[in-house]
Amino acid sequence: MKKKPNHKFIIGGVVIAAALMYLLISSTISGSQYFMTVEELQTQKAEYVGKNVRMSGSVLGDTIQYEPKTLSLTFEVAQIPGDHKLIQQMGGMAKVLEDAAADPNAPRMTIHYTGAKPDLLQPAAQAIVSGSLDANGVFQATELLLKCPSKYESALPKQAE
Amino acid sequence: MVYVGLISFALTFLALIVGTVFAVIGLSRKETSLSPLTFNAAVAAFALHTVAILAMVLLQITEDYSVAYVADVINPAMPMILKITALWGAMAGSLFFWSWILHLVMLTALVNKKKLLDNWSFLVIGVTNLFFAAITLFIENPFAQIWELVDGNIVAYLLSPEAGAVITKVSGVGLNPLLRHPGMIIHPPLLYVGFALFLVPFAVAVSQLIRKTADDALLDQTRSWIIGAWVFLTAGLALGSWWSYGVLGWGGYWAWDPVETASLLPWLTGTALLHSLLLERHRGIFRHFNLALVLSTWFLVVFSIFVTRSGLISSVHAFGESGISRMLLVFTVALFVVCLGLLIWRWKSLTTPWEFKSAFDREALFLYTNVILIAIVVACLWGLLFPLLNGAITGTQMALDLSFFQNTTAPLFILLVLLLAVCPLVGWSIASLKRIGKLAWIPLGVAVLLTAGTALLGLTKLWTFVGIFIVALGLSVLIMLTIRDAVATKSGFGKMVWKQRARYGAYLVHTGVLLIALGITGVHTLSNEVEAHFAVGDRMPFGQYEVVFDKVTEAFENPEYLTAKAQLTIYRNGAEVVKLYPAQHIYSERNQTISIPAMQSTARGDLYTNLIAYTADADGDFAVVTVIDNPLVNWMWVGALLMVLGGLLALSLTPKASKRLEAAPELLNGQETVQEK
Repeated sequence: MKKKPNHKFIIGGVVIAAALMYLLISSTISGSQYFMTVEELQTQKAEYVGKNVRMSGSVLGDTIQYEPKTLSLTFEVAQIPGDHKLIQQMGGMAKVLEDAAADPNAPRMTIHYTGAKPDLLQPAAQAIVSGSLDANGVFQATELLLKCPSKYESALPKQAE
Repeated sequence: MVYVGLISFALTFLALIVGTVFAVIGLSRKETSLSPLTFNAAVAAFALHTVAILAMVLLQITEDYSVAYVADVINPAMPMILKITALWGAMAGSLFFWSWILHLVMLTALVNKKKLLDNWSFLVIGVTNLFFAAITLFIENPFAQIWELVDGNIVAYLLSPEAGAVITKVSGVGLNPLLRHPGMIIHPPLLYVGFALFLVPFAVAVSQLIRKTADDALLDQTRSWIIGAWVFLTAGLALGSWWSYGVLGWGGYWAWDPVETASLLPWLTGTALLHSLLLERHRGIFRHFNLALVLSTWFLVVFSIFVTRSGLISSVHAFGESGISRMLLVFTVALFVVCLGLLIWRWKSLTTPWEFKSAFDREALFLYTNVILIAIVVACLWGLLFPLLNGAITGTQMALDLSFFQNTTAPLFILLVLLLAVCPLVGWSIASLKRIGKLAWIPLGVAVLLTAGTALLGLTKLWTFVGIFIVALGLSVLIMLTIRDAVATKSGFGKMVWKQRARYGAYLVHTGVLLIALGITGVHTLSNEVEAHFAVGDRMPFGQYEVVFDKVTEAFENPEYLTAKAQLTIYRNGAEVVKLYPAQHIYSERNQTISIPAMQSTARGDLYTNLIAYTADADGDFAVVTVIDNPLVNWMWVGALLMVLGGLLALSLTPKASKRLEAAPELLNGQETVQEK
């Protein structure tokens, strides 16, 4: 291998790597979201008002209020742990969601969202919301995702490992 | 039937163990070629697996609700085709199906005339198939039945628990309505086949690395496997995107969801591999790069399965948390260590002489292409893994939102398409900017004229112009080169294309990419969306259209759900264009409502409507409808189709034919169009 082209190659590589690093770092900073549980956000309200937060909780079925004419959707979610392992230990996501919805003492938070009522918004579904907390302590969601563990599966414990 | 399936699946596992053990025995005797015993055991494993699959399908179509999986995904109202395809509708079944596809690929590789597999590569395939069969058999078994225990609890177990009796449900839950779409029926098998086909090049590469055979055999042997895998993967991804657009009602085609992102990764490295394989053919360079790409593509396939099925990375698409998470994690990490170890161990022996002759010849452009593709992979991996890494290091949980993926990949994709547009102008021989300039003035002129033309249409956005300019440039380059060759050739046009089908296949694929870029330009820079609240008779002006809401009707068209249909009439300049019926299917038993968007699709784009909410009562009908104007979006689907067709065209070039061409490279016009060998 000749030396000169090799130099070019290395310089080119460094430039590309630097550009990519810049792209990654700047986008990471602007695109980061704090992933929090209902409880964490409730206890540190003041600190996180206005910040980009993603939160997940169990939907409380009887709190769902939807006004189709204004597309204003309000509901409450109950605390579920953010730790995957802990959820496994507690009997899996479906059970955790059911228990959280049934527990009157679980920390709760009101979510407000403007838009279509999602097909999967139903009692004890897992709601994943992105948005920020407003000054009144209501979570203003700009994005609402729902996951629904099958009810049937929750009645059937998975086979022992 | 349950036991027929279960026993043949268990025997599959045993047969595969036998085959793998014979391969190991062979290796311990320093024999590399496959013994007939291994061959027969593997064929038997496939046959038994097929019996097990057929048993499962039979259970589904006969609606045997004593089986937990059947009770979960089938109900009597489903049509026959869905009863069959529900096989891959949920976790256990789809894992079982994936295991069968892997066995099918193993069989295809075994009966290959060229003796593709030796003991080492068989060992790789055997261990992989054993792993996936094992997690299906022992953890997520689709043959598990529903048992009622004496204490009244209901459980799903494979074999009878103590003092339990099988109970048979009268009816099942049925497949999730969102998955009852033709795109979703074909999407998983295509993706699985695409994924599985990469296993063979991987196994062959591992064998070559271990045996240190420094020939170019890898290319010739696995070229068609790689192209085939790429074609299936392309088709699978495109169908998934089409499903998302046509069913989910948000009018989008790609959401950078972790599962989507992960399934894109092997496609990206596979695409890079196709390009650098070409370089190795032409120049005998980049062998280490190729092997690294073969290894990382298979690794990313396994990584993608891990993301989809482990539930560790939160995603709406994922199957949810499951008992196989830890096993998959161990397998994925072990695979990573093996791949990395092999590459480091053999790196020196792979290095090939290479000179960076010019920054503007085709080798250089291919290199840039691959660097960009890999940069996209790095960005996506960072986006997927950053939340996990950050969580492990700082303890705070963070996620990266959609904007991260858009901001990092958009500039890279734009550069990639720009390279693709100009690349055909550059020959294999040393080129200079001057020569590119000479050839480029016609397409450049066309592109400038077309872009100026769109400005006359009243479009103003900068990125619309950039997109249209690049697409026009790329398309006119390809058309110009094809016309030039057609004029120069002595044989007919069809014959010329057929003779050089690897090259024209690539042209077709690139045309497809450019059309997809056109569609993306339209959707991202020109799309217009409103959410309209309608009472009967309301007229809403919408761009050049006027949307009028007529009524909502409710009817039970299907026993499973209530159909609510809104009727919208679309006018343009006072004349009726079309009536659209966006609908909702309300599954009251499942407590689930799904939206059925309605659209008018033309070459210009889609007028997309989605019924979000409605009331139908004495006070008069009322509806909330999203209306989206998506210009140029349909070119994406046309583009995807061309990519698949182009891939198939290149695939039809058998290795034998490619050998022949290698012996007599056709040099058209002296320098520019060296035949793809």
